[in-house]
Amino acid sequence: MRGFLKTLFGDSRHVCVAASCVGVAALLLRTPLAAAAGLVLPAALMAGAAYLARH
Amino acid sequence: MIGAIIATFLTAGVEWVEAYTILLAVALSIGWRRAAGAGVSALAALGVLTAAGTLGLAHVGNLSFLQFVVGFFLILFGVRWLGKAIARQAGLKKLHDEAAEFVALRARAEIFDPRAAWAIAFNGVLLEGLEVWLIVVALGVQTHHTLAAACAALAAAALVLAAGFFARGPLANVPENTIKFTVGCGILALGTFWVLEALGYQWPVGEFSILALFGFNVAGGLAVARRYKMRLA
Repeated sequence: MRGFLKTLFGDSRHVCVAASCVGVAALLLRTPLAAAAGLVLPAALMAGAAYLARH
Repeated sequence: MIGAIIATFLTAGVEWVEAYTILLAVALSIGWRRAAGAGVSALAALGVLTAAGTLGLAHVGNLSFLQFVVGFFLILFGVRWLGKAIARQAGLKKLHDEAAEFVALRARAEIFDPRAAWAIAFNGVLLEGLEVWLIVVALGVQTHHTLAAACAALAAAALVLAAGFFARGPLANVPENTIKFTVGCGILALGTFWVLEALGYQWPVGEFSILALFGFNVAGGLAVARRYKMRLA
Protein backbone atom coordinates (compact mmCIF):
# COMPACT_ATOMS: atom_id res chain seq x y z
CA MET A 1 0.00 0.00 0.00
CA ARG A 2 2.85 2.33 0.88
CA GLY A 3 4.56 1.60 -2.45
CA PHE A 4 1.23 2.15 -4.22
CA LEU A 5 0.72 5.58 -2.64
CA LYS A 6 4.34 6.64 -3.07
CA THR A 7 4.32 5.61 -6.73
CA LEU A 8 1.17 7.60 -7.36
CA PHE A 9 1.69 10.70 -5.25
CA GLY A 10 5.38 10.77 -4.29
CA ASP A 11 6.28 11.68 -0.70
CA SER A 12 4.94 14.45 1.54
CA ARG A 13 7.44 16.92 0.07
CA HIS A 14 5.98 16.50 -3.42
CA VAL A 15 2.43 16.90 -2.14
CA CYS A 16 3.42 20.02 -0.14
CA VAL A 17 5.09 21.64 -3.18
CA ALA A 18 2.10 21.00 -5.46
CA ALA A 19 -0.50 21.97 -2.84
CA SER A 20 1.25 25.18 -1.82
CA CYS A 21 1.75 26.32 -5.44
CA VAL A 22 -1.92 25.65 -6.29
CA GLY A 23 -2.98 27.26 -2.97
CA VAL A 24 -1.06 30.46 -3.77
CA ALA A 25 -2.62 30.57 -7.26
CA ALA A 26 -6.11 30.02 -5.82
CA LEU A 27 -5.61 32.86 -3.33
CA LEU A 28 -4.25 35.12 -6.05
CA LEU A 29 -7.37 34.54 -8.13
CA ARG A 30 -9.44 36.15 -5.35
CA THR A 31 -7.43 39.37 -5.40
CA PRO A 32 -7.26 42.21 -7.94
CA LEU A 33 -4.05 40.57 -9.20
CA ALA A 34 -5.98 37.55 -10.54
CA ALA A 35 -4.63 38.06 -14.06
CA ALA A 36 -1.12 37.31 -12.78
CA ALA A 37 -2.09 33.76 -11.70
CA GLY A 38 -1.23 32.41 -15.16
CA LEU A 39 2.33 33.63 -14.68
CA VAL A 40 2.69 32.95 -10.96
CA LEU A 41 1.61 29.28 -10.96
CA PRO A 42 4.08 28.10 -13.67
CA ALA A 43 6.90 30.09 -12.04
CA ALA A 44 6.04 28.69 -8.60
CA LEU A 45 5.92 25.14 -9.95
CA MET A 46 9.30 25.61 -11.65
CA ALA A 47 10.72 26.82 -8.33
CA GLY A 48 9.12 23.76 -6.72
CA ALA A 49 10.69 21.41 -9.27
CA ALA A 50 14.07 23.10 -8.68
CA TYR A 51 13.63 22.60 -4.92
CA LEU A 52 12.65 18.94 -5.37
CA ALA A 53 15.67 18.36 -7.62
CA ARG A 54 17.96 19.31 -4.70
CA HIS A 55 16.05 17.40 -2.02
CA MET B 1 -5.97 14.98 -27.87
CA ILE B 2 -2.78 14.25 -29.83
CA GLY B 3 -0.71 15.80 -27.03
CA ALA B 4 -2.42 13.56 -24.48
CA ILE B 5 -1.76 10.45 -26.59
CA ILE B 6 1.90 11.35 -27.13
CA ALA B 7 2.32 12.04 -23.38
CA THR B 8 0.69 8.69 -22.54
CA PHE B 9 2.82 6.82 -25.08
CA LEU B 10 6.08 8.35 -23.79
CA THR B 11 5.17 7.88 -20.10
CA ALA B 12 4.18 4.29 -20.75
CA GLY B 13 7.33 3.67 -22.79
CA VAL B 14 9.61 4.76 -19.94
CA GLU B 15 7.70 2.73 -17.35
CA TRP B 16 7.47 -0.39 -19.54
CA VAL B 17 11.24 -0.31 -20.13
CA GLU B 18 11.70 -0.57 -16.35
CA ALA B 19 9.02 -3.27 -16.12
CA TYR B 20 10.70 -5.20 -18.94
CA THR B 21 14.01 -5.25 -17.02
CA ILE B 22 12.20 -6.86 -14.07
CA LEU B 23 10.40 -9.38 -16.31
CA LEU B 24 13.66 -10.29 -18.04
CA ALA B 25 15.48 -10.84 -14.75
CA VAL B 26 12.63 -13.03 -13.48
CA ALA B 27 12.24 -14.91 -16.79
CA LEU B 28 15.85 -16.05 -16.65
CA SER B 29 15.03 -17.79 -13.34
CA ILE B 30 11.51 -19.15 -13.75
CA GLY B 31 11.12 -19.14 -17.53
CA TRP B 32 9.34 -16.80 -19.93
CA ARG B 33 5.95 -18.50 -19.63
CA ARG B 34 5.61 -17.87 -15.88
CA ALA B 35 7.20 -14.42 -16.07
CA ALA B 36 4.85 -13.45 -18.91
CA GLY B 37 1.94 -14.82 -16.85
CA ALA B 38 2.88 -12.51 -14.00
CA GLY B 39 3.21 -9.57 -16.41
CA VAL B 40 -0.15 -10.25 -18.08
CA SER B 41 -1.84 -10.63 -14.65
CA ALA B 42 -0.44 -7.25 -13.61
CA LEU B 43 -1.64 -5.70 -16.89
CA ALA B 44 -5.10 -7.20 -16.30
CA ALA B 45 -5.15 -5.69 -12.80
CA LEU B 46 -4.20 -2.33 -14.32
CA GLY B 47 -6.99 -2.75 -16.88
CA VAL B 48 -9.51 -3.28 -14.08
CA LEU B 49 -8.12 -0.24 -12.23
CA THR B 50 -8.39 1.84 -15.42
CA ALA B 51 -12.02 0.83 -15.94
CA ALA B 52 -12.85 1.48 -12.26
CA GLY B 53 -11.03 4.83 -12.23
CA THR B 54 -12.66 5.98 -15.47
CA LEU B 55 -16.16 4.92 -14.38
CA GLY B 56 -15.66 6.49 -10.95
CA LEU B 57 -14.51 9.82 -12.38
CA ALA B 58 -17.18 9.77 -15.11
CA HIS B 59 -19.83 9.86 -12.37
CA VAL B 60 -18.48 13.11 -10.93
CA GLY B 61 -21.18 15.59 -11.90
CA ASN B 62 -19.22 18.78 -11.25
CA LEU B 63 -16.95 19.12 -14.30
CA SER B 64 -14.90 21.98 -12.83
CA PHE B 65 -14.19 19.87 -9.74
CA LEU B 66 -13.20 16.92 -11.93
CA GLN B 67 -10.92 19.16 -14.01
CA PHE B 68 -9.32 20.51 -10.82
CA VAL B 69 -8.70 17.02 -9.39
CA VAL B 70 -7.25 15.70 -12.67
CA GLY B 71 -5.12 18.85 -13.07
CA PHE B 72 -3.81 18.60 -9.51
CA PHE B 73 -2.78 14.96 -10.00
CA LEU B 74 -1.02 15.92 -13.23
CA ILE B 75 0.81 18.75 -11.44
CA LEU B 76 1.84 16.32 -8.71
CA PHE B 77 3.09 13.85 -11.29
CA GLY B 78 4.72 16.44 -13.56
CA VAL B 79 6.59 18.34 -10.84
CA ARG B 80 7.96 15.04 -9.50
CA TRP B 81 9.20 13.83 -12.88
CA LEU B 82 10.60 17.25 -13.79
CA GLY B 83 12.40 17.58 -10.43
CA LYS B 84 13.89 14.11 -10.83
CA ALA B 85 14.94 14.75 -14.44
CA ILE B 86 16.57 18.10 -13.49
CA ALA B 87 18.48 16.38 -10.67
CA ARG B 88 19.72 13.67 -13.03
CA GLN B 89 20.62 16.11 -15.79
CA ALA B 90 22.54 18.32 -13.35
CA GLY B 91 24.43 15.35 -11.94
CA LEU B 92 22.81 15.64 -8.48
CA LYS B 93 21.39 12.16 -8.90
CA LYS B 94 22.66 9.13 -10.80
CA LEU B 95 21.06 8.41 -14.17
CA HIS B 96 18.77 5.39 -14.11
CA ASP B 97 20.81 2.45 -15.37
CA GLU B 98 18.75 -0.49 -16.64
CA ALA B 99 21.81 -2.75 -16.93
CA ALA B 100 22.76 -2.10 -13.28
CA GLU B 101 19.14 -2.58 -12.23
CA PHE B 102 19.12 -5.93 -14.04
CA VAL B 103 22.32 -7.06 -12.31
CA ALA B 104 20.94 -6.01 -8.91
CA LEU B 105 17.73 -7.95 -9.53
CA ARG B 106 19.62 -11.07 -10.58
CA ALA B 107 21.66 -10.84 -7.37
CA ARG B 108 18.53 -11.12 -5.20
CA ALA B 109 18.19 -14.55 -3.61
CA GLU B 110 14.35 -14.60 -3.92
CA ILE B 111 14.54 -14.49 -7.70
CA PHE B 112 15.40 -18.20 -7.75
CA ASP B 113 12.27 -19.13 -5.77
CA PRO B 114 9.43 -19.57 -8.32
CA ARG B 115 6.69 -18.06 -6.11
CA ALA B 116 8.77 -15.12 -4.93
CA ALA B 117 10.03 -14.48 -8.47
CA TRP B 118 6.46 -14.49 -9.80
CA ALA B 119 5.52 -11.97 -7.10
CA ILE B 120 8.54 -9.79 -8.00
CA ALA B 121 7.44 -9.75 -11.65
CA PHE B 122 3.77 -9.08 -10.81
CA ASN B 123 4.52 -6.31 -8.29
CA GLY B 124 7.17 -4.79 -10.55
CA VAL B 125 4.87 -4.51 -13.58
CA LEU B 126 1.97 -3.33 -11.38
CA LEU B 127 4.00 -0.61 -9.65
CA GLU B 128 5.64 0.59 -12.87
CA GLY B 129 2.23 0.52 -14.52
CA LEU B 130 0.54 2.61 -11.82
CA GLU B 131 1.96 5.83 -13.21
CA VAL B 132 0.76 4.77 -16.66
CA TRP B 133 -2.67 4.09 -15.15
CA LEU B 134 -2.75 7.54 -13.58
CA ILE B 135 -1.89 9.22 -16.89
CA VAL B 136 -4.33 7.09 -18.92
CA VAL B 137 -7.22 7.79 -16.53
CA ALA B 138 -6.41 11.47 -15.95
CA LEU B 139 -5.81 12.40 -19.59
CA GLY B 140 -8.46 10.00 -20.89
CA VAL B 141 -11.23 11.31 -18.64
CA GLN B 142 -10.34 14.95 -19.26
CA THR B 143 -10.06 14.61 -23.06
CA HIS B 144 -12.81 11.93 -23.33
CA HIS B 145 -10.36 9.59 -25.08
CA THR B 146 -9.60 6.96 -22.43
CA LEU B 147 -9.64 4.13 -24.97
CA ALA B 148 -7.17 5.94 -27.24
CA ALA B 149 -4.92 6.68 -24.25
CA ALA B 150 -5.08 3.01 -23.15
CA CYS B 151 -4.23 1.92 -26.71
CA ALA B 152 -1.23 4.30 -26.70
CA ALA B 153 -0.03 2.67 -23.45
CA LEU B 154 -0.46 -0.83 -24.94
CA ALA B 155 1.32 0.24 -28.14
CA ALA B 156 4.24 1.43 -26.02
CA ALA B 157 4.26 -1.98 -24.29
CA ALA B 158 4.33 -3.77 -27.66
CA LEU B 159 7.20 -1.55 -28.84
CA VAL B 160 9.22 -2.19 -25.67
CA LEU B 161 8.63 -5.95 -25.97
CA ALA B 162 9.70 -5.91 -29.62
CA ALA B 163 12.81 -3.87 -28.77
CA GLY B 164 13.56 -6.26 -25.90
CA PHE B 165 13.18 -9.25 -28.21
CA PHE B 166 15.77 -7.84 -30.62
CA ALA B 167 18.10 -6.50 -27.91
CA ARG B 168 17.99 -9.77 -25.94
CA GLY B 169 18.92 -7.86 -22.79
CA PRO B 170 17.92 -4.83 -20.70
CA LEU B 171 17.03 -1.78 -22.80
CA ALA B 172 19.89 0.32 -21.46
CA ASN B 173 20.11 2.70 -24.44
CA VAL B 174 16.70 4.31 -24.07
CA PRO B 175 17.19 8.06 -23.34
CA GLU B 176 15.04 7.71 -20.25
CA ASN B 177 15.96 11.00 -18.62
CA THR B 178 15.28 13.05 -21.76
CA ILE B 179 11.87 11.37 -22.11
CA LYS B 180 11.09 11.93 -18.40
CA PHE B 181 12.12 15.59 -18.71
CA THR B 182 9.92 16.11 -21.79
CA VAL B 183 6.93 14.25 -20.34
CA GLY B 184 7.33 16.06 -16.99
CA CYS B 185 7.23 19.42 -18.80
CA GLY B 186 4.19 18.39 -20.87
CA ILE B 187 2.20 16.93 -18.00
CA LEU B 188 3.00 19.94 -15.80
CA ALA B 189 1.79 22.26 -18.58
CA LEU B 190 -1.51 20.36 -18.92
CA GLY B 191 -1.99 20.25 -15.13
CA THR B 192 -1.29 23.98 -14.74
CA PHE B 193 -3.72 24.83 -17.55
CA TRP B 194 -6.56 22.67 -16.24
CA VAL B 195 -6.18 23.62 -12.55
CA LEU B 196 -6.28 27.36 -13.24
CA GLU B 197 -9.11 26.99 -15.76
CA ALA B 198 -11.10 24.98 -13.19
CA LEU B 199 -10.54 27.80 -10.68
CA GLY B 200 -12.07 30.27 -13.13
CA TYR B 201 -8.96 31.73 -14.76
CA GLN B 202 -9.33 32.76 -18.42
CA TRP B 203 -6.19 31.84 -20.33
CA PRO B 204 -5.26 34.66 -22.76
CA VAL B 205 -4.93 32.47 -25.88
CA GLY B 206 -7.08 29.52 -24.83
CA GLU B 207 -5.60 26.05 -25.37
CA PHE B 208 -2.58 27.51 -27.18
CA SER B 209 -1.44 28.56 -23.70
CA ILE B 210 -0.55 24.88 -23.12
CA LEU B 211 2.20 25.19 -25.74
CA ALA B 212 3.51 28.36 -24.07
CA LEU B 213 3.48 26.61 -20.68
CA PHE B 214 5.32 23.63 -22.16
CA GLY B 215 7.95 25.95 -23.66
CA PHE B 216 8.34 27.76 -20.35
CA ASN B 217 8.78 24.45 -18.50
CA VAL B 218 11.39 23.19 -20.98
CA ALA B 219 13.37 26.45 -20.94
CA GLY B 220 13.06 26.82 -17.16
CA GLY B 221 13.96 23.18 -16.49
CA LEU B 222 17.04 23.36 -18.73
CA ALA B 223 18.13 26.63 -17.10
CA VAL B 224 17.77 25.19 -13.58
CA ALA B 225 19.68 22.02 -14.53
CA ARG B 226 22.44 24.13 -16.08
CA ARG B 227 22.69 26.33 -12.99
CA TYR B 228 22.92 23.32 -10.66
CA LYS B 229 25.53 21.73 -12.95
CA MET B 230 27.65 24.90 -12.88
CA ARG B 231 27.43 25.01 -9.09
CA LEU B 232 28.61 21.40 -8.87
CA ALA B 233 31.57 22.00 -11.24
